[in-house]
Amino acid sequence: MSVVDVVVAVLVGVAVLVSVLSCLGVLLASDAYDGLHYTAPASVVSPVLIAAAVVIQEGIGSQAGIKSIVVALLLIVLNTVLVHATARAARIRKRGRWALEPAEKATIENR
Amino acid sequence: MIAAASILPVSTGWLVAGTVMLAGVIPLLWVCVRRSIFEALVALELAGTVTTLVLLVIAQGTHRQPFFDLAVVSAVLSFGGGLAFARFLERWV
Repeated sequence: MSVVDVVVAVLVGVAVLVSVLSCLGVLLASDAYDGLHYTAPASVVSPVLIAAAVVIQEGIGSQAGIKSIVVALLLIVLNTVLVHATARAARIRKRGRWALEPAEKATIENR
Repeated sequence: MIAAASILPVSTGWLVAGTVMLAGVIPLLWVCVRRSIFEALVALELAGTVTTLVLLVIAQGTHRQPFFDLAVVSAVLSFGGGLAFARFLERWV
């Protein structure tokens, strides 16, 4: 077993662990907003680690390496947008509008 | 005819990793069935991400280049699906 094989195995192992823990986090989360936080590691850390493992094994100029990087970038960017859209939809469904209400007692500083 | 030397063996390690990741979808399925509608949506979105990663891992494990395209398509379409659900659940469903 070469050094490359060991590095790839470690990267993939950590990616799988992060992904499974994210899934368990969503299961144990108290509400949807908490659950949204637990989707981040599986959407950011795991794709990067798997793409790194593929690139190390196949090379950065290979089709597999390029497509892995594309998938990782897509997941990072699109899931960020999706998490915001989901939180926004949940808030509008619950309160009727997105804007902050006076009863929420949040202060916005004018600088 | 494909030359025998160009066919790489299936790597079991990658496929085992994919199987374990796919097992993570089981708790998400439970959330979809038992929890509120927005918690189910969050679980669906995470399941889409995990499925995309599993496709990536399977593609690498089997050394089939076209399978990587499935992962790219899955990444985009799971985003579109989640966004459509979020928009409809906002007011209309």
